[in-house]
Amino acid sequence: MAENGVGASVRRKEDYRFLTGKGSYTDDLNVVGQTHAYFVRSPHAHATINSIDTAAAAAADGVVAVLTGDDLAADGIGPLICGVNVTSDDGEPHRAPVHSALAQGKVNYVGDHVAVVIAETLAEAKDAAEKVEVDYGILPAVTDTATAADDDQQQIHEVAPNNQCYNWPFGDKAAVDAAFESAHKVSSLDLVNNRMVTNPMEPRAAAGEYNSGTEEITLHLTTQNPHVHRLVMSAFNQLAPEHKLRVVGPDVGGGFGVKIFRVLRRVGCRLGLP
Amino acid sequence: MNVNGESISGEVEDRMLLVEFLREHLRLTGTHVGCDTSQCGACVVHVNGVSVKSCTTLAVQAEGGDVTTIEGLAINGELHPMQQAFKDNHGLQCGFCTPGMVMSAIDIVNRNGSDVDEATVRKELEGNICRCTGYHNIVKAVHAGAKNMGG
Repeated sequence: MAENGVGASVRRKEDYRFLTGKGSYTDDLNVVGQTHAYFVRSPHAHATINSIDTAAAAAADGVVAVLTGDDLAADGIGPLICGVNVTSDDGEPHRAPVHSALAQGKVNYVGDHVAVVIAETLAEAKDAAEKVEVDYGILPAVTDTATAADDDQQQIHEVAPNNQCYNWPFGDKAAVDAAFESAHKVSSLDLVNNRMVTNPMEPRAAAGEYNSGTEEITLHLTTQNPHVHRLVMSAFNQLAPEHKLRVVGPDVGGGFGVKIFRVLRRVGCRLGLP
Repeated sequence: MNVNGESISGEVEDRMLLVEFLREHLRLTGTHVGCDTSQCGACVVHVNGVSVKSCTTLAVQAEGGDVTTIEGLAINGELHPMQQAFKDNHGLQCGFCTPGMVMSAIDIVNRNGSDVDEATVRKELEGNICRCTGYHNIVKAVHAGAKNMGG
């Protein structure tokens, strides 16, 4: 390998700041006058939301606002879109239930976002979140992929019969069948796929600033694709017109693909001004 | 407490975590919070020379103690031998776990000596998670750093 010029091994220029604690990840940033968002999440895998009582939380120390899915809908904040469209083998588009940033009417997994508390400090937001009273009607859950598509299984999304989003086959089924048909010996085994999660070390984080004079929003976001985030938040979530929305991606603590997608649920509410 | 050689005093709530005190009060944001549950090790700092996970240590537990963070290792811009070893061996990519890795690595060498073997390094780094490197270069870096720390 060459020692200089083309083909030479080069040192990464970001290593010095990462090694000395001078990296600048999203949570390292502070915005003047910032408030902090803390999300109330579902402890149930599948349940109706019968009611949410936010009065006690809203009255707690330091709380600026408590928002639910209905509040976001009333503000015209659109649901999360699916960025990848798949056509099933039957020619139908994949089934895409409405995915609100904060759940409306029903929660569909443990950790589903039910409400967000915005307060002067993170500790105040956490304390107030404990005062949000959610009345759940617990429904049977589906926790096993092997039986999830069985006819007698609990249905999670109305638009997805047998809990199937899509069927996306690859390869040449006829040729494979023929090969097995003529094989000298056929062995069969069950293959169990582990659950796979892209899980970067840096959690999701966002810090937003709103300039009421110019009506511009600057959003600092741990992101792999700030331009797409800006486009989607503008076009689908009505956050602001694109020319009034600036998305900044500082140092990112790992992404592995998941930070290409937009997570409005975690960004909307850390604005300098509500 | 003494942080990176500087005497610090402050009033904190009894529930404030050491990592919150370092990051929010002292603005030493090199110490990271990854999991908040003591598993990932991005928050490792030294208290009285021993590595601790600052996300599950109360600030008051370090009262009167000597705290060293990643910001306190380099002297006049010159990297600590372990920092230099991570740089030389590509022991980092996104850098988020790196401060905790380096602090843990120094503690491992302090306790096991500069000729610490690979099995010990791998075993003792179990409390630090990295998602970018696959660990191989981190282990190489710890070895190189250990040798350099031993002079």
